[in-house]
Amino acid sequence: MTTVASAASGAIGTAPAPVAWRHRHLIDLDVVTWPEIQLIMRTTDEMKGILARPIHKVPALNGRRVTTLFYEASTRTRVSFETAARNLSADVVSVATATSSVTKGESLVDTVRTLEALGAEILVMRHSVSGAPYLAADVFSGHVLNGGDGWHAHPTQALLDLYTMREHLPGGDLRGRKVAIVGDILHSRVARSNIWSLTAAGADLWLCGPATLLRGMDRWAAAWAGGAIPGHGRFNVTSDIEAALRDADVVMGLRIQRERMQGGLLPSLREYAARFQLNAERVSLARPDAIVMHPGPMNEGVEIAPDVAISGRSVITDQVANGVAVRMALLYLLAGAHEAAHEAAHAEVAR
Amino acid sequence: MSAPTGGFRPGAAGPRVGDTVERFELEKAWLVDPVSGREGPGEIVVTDGVLESVVWLEGDEAAGVTDGGVVVAPGFFDLHAHFREPGFEDAETIATGSAAAAHGGYTTVALMPNTQPALDEPGALERIRAAARTSGSPVEVLAYGAVSAGRAGEQLSAMGELADAGVLGYSDDGAPVRTAKLMRSALVYAGMLGLPVVDHAEDAELTAGAEAHEGYVASVMGLAGWPIAGEANAVARDLAVLADALGDQPAARLHLTHVSTAAALELVRRAKKAGLPVTCDVTPHHLALTDEWIAGARRWAWEAIDTGGRPLDPWADGVLTAPPYNTSLRVNPPLRTAADAAACLAALLDGTADAVATDHAPHTVVDKEVEFGRAANGISGIETALGVLLALVDAGRLPLVRAIATLTTGPAKVAAGWPNLVGSPAARPRGLTESSPADLVVFDRSDRWQVTPESLRSKGKNSPLIGRELPGRVLLTIAAGRLAYEDPLAGDD
Repeated sequence: MTTVASAASGAIGTAPAPVAWRHRHLIDLDVVTWPEIQLIMRTTDEMKGILARPIHKVPALNGRRVTTLFYEASTRTRVSFETAARNLSADVVSVATATSSVTKGESLVDTVRTLEALGAEILVMRHSVSGAPYLAADVFSGHVLNGGDGWHAHPTQALLDLYTMREHLPGGDLRGRKVAIVGDILHSRVARSNIWSLTAAGADLWLCGPATLLRGMDRWAAAWAGGAIPGHGRFNVTSDIEAALRDADVVMGLRIQRERMQGGLLPSLREYAARFQLNAERVSLARPDAIVMHPGPMNEGVEIAPDVAISGRSVITDQVANGVAVRMALLYLLAGAHEAAHEAAHAEVAR
Repeated sequence: MSAPTGGFRPGAAGPRVGDTVERFELEKAWLVDPVSGREGPGEIVVTDGVLESVVWLEGDEAAGVTDGGVVVAPGFFDLHAHFREPGFEDAETIATGSAAAAHGGYTTVALMPNTQPALDEPGALERIRAAARTSGSPVEVLAYGAVSAGRAGEQLSAMGELADAGVLGYSDDGAPVRTAKLMRSALVYAGMLGLPVVDHAEDAELTAGAEAHEGYVASVMGLAGWPIAGEANAVARDLAVLADALGDQPAARLHLTHVSTAAALELVRRAKKAGLPVTCDVTPHHLALTDEWIAGARRWAWEAIDTGGRPLDPWADGVLTAPPYNTSLRVNPPLRTAADAAACLAALLDGTADAVATDHAPHTVVDKEVEFGRAANGISGIETALGVLLALVDAGRLPLVRAIATLTTGPAKVAAGWPNLVGSPAARPRGLTESSPADLVVFDRSDRWQVTPESLRSKGKNSPLIGRELPGRVLLTIAAGRLAYEDPLAGDD
């Protein structure tokens, strides 16, 4: 049996190993080892089992206080977290910054201290500035669960993506499976978190988009090309959409935002669609049993053709459903870490 | 330890900051005189504020005195600091900045004009001088005037009146001189007045929204990139405009401050070779820190590079020990790669860079305890510059006498190249010269000190070196014959 130590120090995508959750926060997947990701996947399996019951509510987090603090507009992520928390019987407080003291200029630090004084134990946070959850974690005595920060990280999305891929791949094994992520990689926290999780899973990861929206990613790929990072494999970066999609097992589209034209990064949405849209013809380059994914919200007709989005290959609604289960698993693990290893967890640096 | 001896004892009866140093003797210390390039065992005596004697010891008398203990050097000259007064006194004042400077071994500082209001007319300079006088500190406070009125990048400031009032030169620092056209006018007009234009070289269009140096670290951390071209393009513009302006005004002078990239330094190197009257400085933080610190690494720049000159990978090396996105590391220009830091050092060693300047930029907690991308740019660095340079010396990367020269004769020579300052006190040579007013710093290389919020005299606690030990505790700083700083424990043995 693989030990935690050997799996963490080099092996990629190997078999499950006994491991306990040791993180006080979940902000980025860079510090989460493959055995820990497997623990999250197994815990998600259990949560899926709960969701399959007629009454999918358990008392696991009864009386625990979960606060969602969203500095950016979001429907699916916030509702997904709040549904997950309620399924575990947690008390949920939802803070929308548009109607809070934030509009009066209150700083993030003061807001977090206030929410803590009001009883928040687990803070689910979305913010437009990369790294903001670390600032919150620095002043918060509870747990911070990142719901997306700037261009940096969206760990629960990457974990639900991984879970969904495993559901649809034989044996649930990503090793050697080709995953193509297509779109605005530069500005994507989803892509960044997927780099950490999928290179840990041993996938053959390809990032694809117009060169202006891949900026800097080639340097990252080059740095990892030699297998330099313990526990993570290499990945590919290309603007060749056909090379990225050919024989892929998983095809994922990312949202293209209109601001990118104003920033001079793209000539037009029409030109993007002509060259990079995930349409039926392009997706046919992938394996016949390939799945199509998208983290949402979609611009149908831009980065993905409507018929592809609703085709039999599409698992986009599965992603949404799995999102609740993954978030239940993470809330459960973080809360458990609080109970089981309170002192040790509090000694951990907010990384 | 050969501690300073003589007229200094702590306590109520002891001399206070600002008092003329009546008598101070130091036996068996390591003297560094960057004017002559000489260093070695020696003794000094200060009487009534004058450096009465400098004796170089030889033979048995010199036995046991090494360059690893107490060192005496001329007082340091900072070409680039922000003391925030008037307008931002909650971040720093002339008084607290002067105290911080003296704690760092500095006896002369040149302040940037990005105050509120900007130093764009002579009355503002008078206010700064008055604040320096009432501070009681003997640290010499010089100031640059703004290039443009209100630093708005439109019209020239009251340049002539500012020159008459005694500014050191002109800068819109905090921002670049906005347009090439304005730069050309500024160089020609300032040249007529015998003074330089000091530019913060940044192509603001290329760097709009930037959060960190564009590269591997920024890519992984999802930070908007500040590209190398943002600096190189601006330096190329300034050099081209300078070459042009010299046709109209041969006394035009350009100083580029806090140059941070290998590419821009190479442009300066070539311009100097071609004979253009350009000088430049580099900062301690760009010499010693790199962008991987933002990810949580805490190794010096020279430890983060392989023998081929390529930066190492902090994720691969498992050196991420500190919380990421520490806003003390947000600075403009941003911390670069280890290769750029090595280029800054190489530029100092080959003379491309003339001096080390701190760009001391204190900020309040309110402006720094925010999201990384919203934090104010700047590092509080005037008290840690010596320690950072001594770390380079300890690592064998920089000879001690060269380290001292970058803080003393280097800046003095830059100022001496500005026509209106020839013969002015600001451009004095900065050696250990007998019979001149005592202007010196005494520090102990064997005594490390911990950087803490409490240990910094600056109001700005925004130092990424907080929590770290630095070599070279400053024991005593004498500015123009008067006590500027004395270590609380000095002489207490």
